Amino acid sequence: MTSHFLNMLIFTIIVSTFFAFLTRNEPRARWRLGLILGGSMLFLSLALAWIMYPFPVR
Amino acid sequence: MGSRDVAGSEEPSGGRRKKLALACALAWVIPGAGHWYLGRRARAGVFFCLVIVSFVLGAVLHGRFSVRDRRAPLLSTLQVVACLGTGPIEVVSRSLLYGGPVYFMPEEDSMQAGDGGRPRTVVGQLLRSRNEARDSAYGTAYLWTAGLMNLLLILDVFDIGIGRKD
Repeated sequence: MTSHFLNMLIFTIIVSTFFAFLTRNEPRARWRLGLILGGSMLFLSLALAWIMYPFPVR
Repeated sequence: MGSRDVAGSEEPSGGRRKKLALACALAWVIPGAGHWYLGRRARAGVFFCLVIVSFVLGAVLHGRFSVRDRRAPLLSTLQVVACLGTGPIEVVSRSLLYGGPVYFMPEEDSMQAGDGGRPRTVVGQLLRSRNEARDSAYGTAYLWTAGLMNLLLILDVFDIGIGRKD
């Protein structure tokens, strides 16, 4: 499984679900935090990737 | 039932401390077990699944089961702590991989300067081959995240146990 996006998506789901359950007790609040965290992680990762795109790896 | 509120019960503090220690120990041995013991059953199931899925993905995707290396003592120690956070499942997996619960880089390999030399021991060679796998970076992220999540769960169990958190 070497798809970077797929791995990022799975990782995001795991981590955001974890923190949603760790820090919130109400189902509605969990959904809200999970979606905010997951969305932020995905958005920031893609934004960072886009910013770094012009720079060569080596 | 009494097991739900270790902090709120009117037991002597010694008994409460024992329950708290048992809950924290359970949390390390089986991810989510500490929450289960304190009565947070639904949360326990979710945490168990998340940590185990992350750990299995890490092991399958050639995650780095780190060992303490004298060449980078601080970072490698933190890596070992992150790995160990998952509990006995990590010790068993490591033993299956390296042929024993190896947590220190063998002397022969830790004496080498730089990465140029070929590893001489089985542990060094396995670490090198897993590092060179294409998916190793992903696997390592999953593996260490599983351990760090479980360490956070132990702290969460402690907080619930002393009544700081619901």
